[in-house]
Amino acid sequence: MTVRFDGVSFTYPGSAVPALRDLSLTLAAGEVTWLFGKLGAGSSTALLVAGGFAPILTGGERRGSVRVGGLDPGDPATRAALAGRIAYVSAQPHLQLSGLAETVFEEVAFAPANLGWSQARIREAVPQALARIGAGHLAERVPTELSGGELQRVVIAAMLVLAPEVWLLDEPASALDPGARAAAYGLFREEARRGAAVILATEDADGALEAADRIVVLEHGAVAQDGDPAAVLASDACWLLGAGSTTIGELWRAAMDRTPAMARGSVPLTLGAAVQRVTGR
Amino acid sequence: MTPGPPPSALTRAHPFTPLTATLAVVFLAFLLPAPAGPVILAVLAVASAPLLGDGGALRPTFIVVIPLWLLLFLVQGVLGDAPFTAIGPLTLSVAGAREALAQGARLTAIVVPSLLALRGFRAARFVDAAAERGWPFSAAYLVAATLQTIPRLRHRVSLIRDAQRSRGLRVRGSIVQRIRALVPLTLPLILGALADADDRAVALESRGVAAVAVPGARRTPLDPPVDRALDRSVRWGAVLAVVLAAAWRVIR
Repeated sequence: MTVRFDGVSFTYPGSAVPALRDLSLTLAAGEVTWLFGKLGAGSSTALLVAGGFAPILTGGERRGSVRVGGLDPGDPATRAALAGRIAYVSAQPHLQLSGLAETVFEEVAFAPANLGWSQARIREAVPQALARIGAGHLAERVPTELSGGELQRVVIAAMLVLAPEVWLLDEPASALDPGARAAAYGLFREEARRGAAVILATEDADGALEAADRIVVLEHGAVAQDGDPAAVLASDACWLLGAGSTTIGELWRAAMDRTPAMARGSVPLTLGAAVQRVTGR
Repeated sequence: MTPGPPPSALTRAHPFTPLTATLAVVFLAFLLPAPAGPVILAVLAVASAPLLGDGGALRPTFIVVIPLWLLLFLVQGVLGDAPFTAIGPLTLSVAGAREALAQGARLTAIVVPSLLALRGFRAARFVDAAAERGWPFSAAYLVAATLQTIPRLRHRVSLIRDAQRSRGLRVRGSIVQRIRALVPLTLPLILGALADADDRAVALESRGVAAVAVPGARRTPLDPPVDRALDRSVRWGAVLAVVLAAAWRVIR
């Protein structure tokens, strides 16, 4: 499903400043789109609006048109039609628990049960989802007794089980160790290849650079840059927005101030690219 | 949610059974003739706790009811109307003491099964049982979430208390110190609970709750609890007892 914003503005209740301003953006199925920007740029709000959670659950005022697969997710009448087709993962996995599960298996089975899947289908799909994110061994554990990283994997599995058509990911790897983080980004790429629209809002430039097909840099709730992740992230214009870069990119830019020779050519974003720049090989 | 309760007869029972029995005891505590009826109910309730495998419920019960018993006897017995009777150094109002006994017994009879039902409550089993009976998910979730409020808040309080203590807050000591500690404990508790409500609503919405909110839609019970003959007997017995007690009140 394609996610389309047409002239969307959104203001939270009690706020005079809109979190999104006249945002127009089409996020295609089969792609990982990375929403990037400094804190308060509007990435998380864009996800909430795309999922219809804002303004239905958050309150506030939305203007403009949002369409997910042709349906308006902010229209209460379309909620049932979109249920289970849009996955949302936040940076706070402990707040994404259903509160009704005694085991991880039950937690992951919560959404399929709500969608009326048969018991046989649930029993087949849940272990597969847990295994894909490397959490199969957690099936019988109590969700509240898991570590943050384990819980984040369980929450991803709880969405993965639905084979959603749209992924809305808000810092989905914040609690994961480097290995699990790489696996999670790999999984999101797989989901895009399967045909899902994957929208990733994160400041983790190192991980997202590997996963994303496209970057959209937001500033004050509007699109500031849009394009190929490596090209945009290496540009001075993106750097000047203050959103940061990859670890290597930031290190290189810090060194550039003292070593003017390093300023020639594009800024490397990965360790491999930096080594190539320094050694010429 | 906090980890599930330890296994007991209550956790093994059909989830509707302890809740029905508790409701019945609440009605009976007011319908049966006082003070004998409430006293018998209170004794049976206290005795049932260890028999049902959760004697630990009695400690919080006594912490709640003993101060209230003392207060009731002070207000009703000591300050009540004549005639009076002497018990040791105390002079008590006979009618007042009788009323205090009835009210204290009612309170105990209600608190014990309520705590037993709460401590043995398993939200997942309850929602499965409700789904099997065709309850709307919203109704089942409302009951389950309400009954989980206390354990959830207790869990949150312990987290906040640990966090505040690590910043130097003294939560023990004199009454004044304890009262001072209340604000830094309760404010984050309330604000956090309010903030979490939005996030949890988003979480539930993204987990297919909208689909089951449609009239006629049914959630699939994952592991529906067995409704044994014993469970059904207890529930029907509880309802029958309330009906008989109500009828007795009407015709006496």
